Amino acid sequence: MTYLVAAALRRSAVAGPDAGPRQPRDFRRFNLPVQLALAAAAEVVPAAQDPTAMAVVSLAPCHNGSPELYRWVQNADTARSRGATAPARMNPTYTLHVIDNLALSAFVIAHGSDGYYLGVGGAPGQAWCGLEAVRERLDGGREREALLMAGDQGGAGDALDGSGVALLFSVRRTAYAPLGRPVELLAIERSPRPEPQPVSAHAAEGLCALLHAVAHHGVGALAYEVPPQHTDGIDRVTVRLRVA
Amino acid sequence: MIDARHRVVVTGCGTVSAIATTAPAFWEALLAGRSGIGRIPRLVAAQLPVTTGGEVTAVPPDRADRDVALANQAIDEALDAAHLHRDGAAFIWATGLDTYQQGEQGPVFRPSGSCFAALSRPFREPRRMIAAACAAGTQAIGEAYWNIRAGRIAACVAGGSSCLLSPFYIMGFAALQALATDDGGDPCTACRPFDRRRRGFALSDGAAALVLESLEAARRRGAPVLAEVVGFGMSQDGFDLNRPPEDGRGAVRCLHRAVEDAGLAPSDVDAVNAHATGTLVGDRAEAAAIRRFFGSDWKRKAVSSLKGAIGHAMAAAGALEAVAAVATCRTGLVPPTVNLHDPDEDCELRHVIGRPHEDDVRTVVSTSFGMGGQNAAVVFRRFP
Repeated sequence: MTYLVAAALRRSAVAGPDAGPRQPRDFRRFNLPVQLALAAAAEVVPAAQDPTAMAVVSLAPCHNGSPELYRWVQNADTARSRGATAPARMNPTYTLHVIDNLALSAFVIAHGSDGYYLGVGGAPGQAWCGLEAVRERLDGGREREALLMAGDQGGAGDALDGSGVALLFSVRRTAYAPLGRPVELLAIERSPRPEPQPVSAHAAEGLCALLHAVAHHGVGALAYEVPPQHTDGIDRVTVRLRVA
Repeated sequence: MIDARHRVVVTGCGTVSAIATTAPAFWEALLAGRSGIGRIPRLVAAQLPVTTGGEVTAVPPDRADRDVALANQAIDEALDAAHLHRDGAAFIWATGLDTYQQGEQGPVFRPSGSCFAALSRPFREPRRMIAAACAAGTQAIGEAYWNIRAGRIAACVAGGSSCLLSPFYIMGFAALQALATDDGGDPCTACRPFDRRRRGFALSDGAAALVLESLEAARRRGAPVLAEVVGFGMSQDGFDLNRPPEDGRGAVRCLHRAVEDAGLAPSDVDAVNAHATGTLVGDRAEAAAIRRFFGSDWKRKAVSSLKGAIGHAMAAAGALEAVAAVATCRTGLVPPTVNLHDPDEDCELRHVIGRPHEDDVRTVVSTSFGMGGQNAAVVFRRFP
């Protein structure tokens, strides 16, 4: 049995010095997708019984990097085309922005988790691989709780339209706070599409849409058919849940 | 005795690296102690502080889809060796970081997710992309192993690829003081794992693929069995984003979990294919971890690192090392650590220096310790 216990969404329409999510000072050096994922995760962790033992599944952004790194690449290339000598020095803090699953490591350091972990890459549709991993771990009896988190933005050079999401699951039958009712994750079903579909690479948006569907669903079974753009374009994906 | 449906074997390997473009040639070069690290003209032209690396010459550096081509070469070799087609296997793969290929109009951005998407069709599901820094290749193999052992899938191509030899990453890792900067010496000696004179790692490109399947499926197909996968473990340092704890305690937990998963004790392990990249802090912590893991037995356990020969291929590193571990299980030979001549006293281990270690090695643990503190280890055993 796998139950959705808590969830959080964080959005940042405009990223600026004061527009980012509130979180520990140390997190400010990270790029926006990582900040948003960590901020969302921090909201759901208090609902966990033991954050040190839960499984942590973290989705990497669809692009590594940050606007700062992008600018460095462009500046270095411009300088080189003008016959400049060695490229300008790179700020070591910015190099953190390329780590493919920085949010996972930062979360573990902050919360002391040392159970199962899985860093899932930023290819289209990988959110459902992450959700499958959560279910495998909890239904397999390996852990009692699991966190799934993601943060992303439009592109590595784009600090706009960022979103972060975190979902906490448990084997305990517990009410999902926004609904006041237990929400059970029953299955993630896949079947091949006859033709590949266009997709949109964004680690967080698919899960945000799932939570929106859960929030607007009444009591009973929910067969959430994932919109094609949130899949890998190869499979049709259906998430089956039941709101008690 | 574990049921054949839940035993997992390796039936094919493929590699592309700085020293060779096939798995058999890769193994031959490792045993010969050859280095594929060299001076790279485009890095020299860019006047970077680091101009050495492990370039794969089989795929031209200016090819726009170089990341995909490198990976496909290793995947195709592994599938051919296993007599399997893509639509007969799942796909768990690490493509590492986004790449910046040099195009005619400047750097061309290549998202690693796009590379994965291009590779993943027509594999069966799960098609899972692993992102765990330098531990990603090993984690991909471990995830495939667990999924097959649990009976969820029968066969899987697992491994990783990396295509990072660009000014962007050279500058980035140099800023972290992780790379061996040029010292005017022979570029082949840039990376010296566990050596007193080590100065950092040499960045390299590469790819490696393993076909894993249930023993039952392999027998049914009459596929060749190269080795058995018997355990997988992981841990998180939870310590610091840039360095491991000095006593390597996160790595120790990872090693113990891997052998426990295999139903073995540390004394059952014959050799370690170490992550050791040639950094001051990382090698010291890893050596401490290996000594603690084996306890008083450590002086009898052969330890070897491939990074002196092939450099650090990031997401591909663990997969390349796994291919070597499989070959060690088959042959009993442990390749030498290239460029290790004067072991650091802080890195005291039973190193393999100068020539291969011959001692009928049957059980090998292959380790990866990633930036950010993500650790993974896979245990391979000779089959039968």
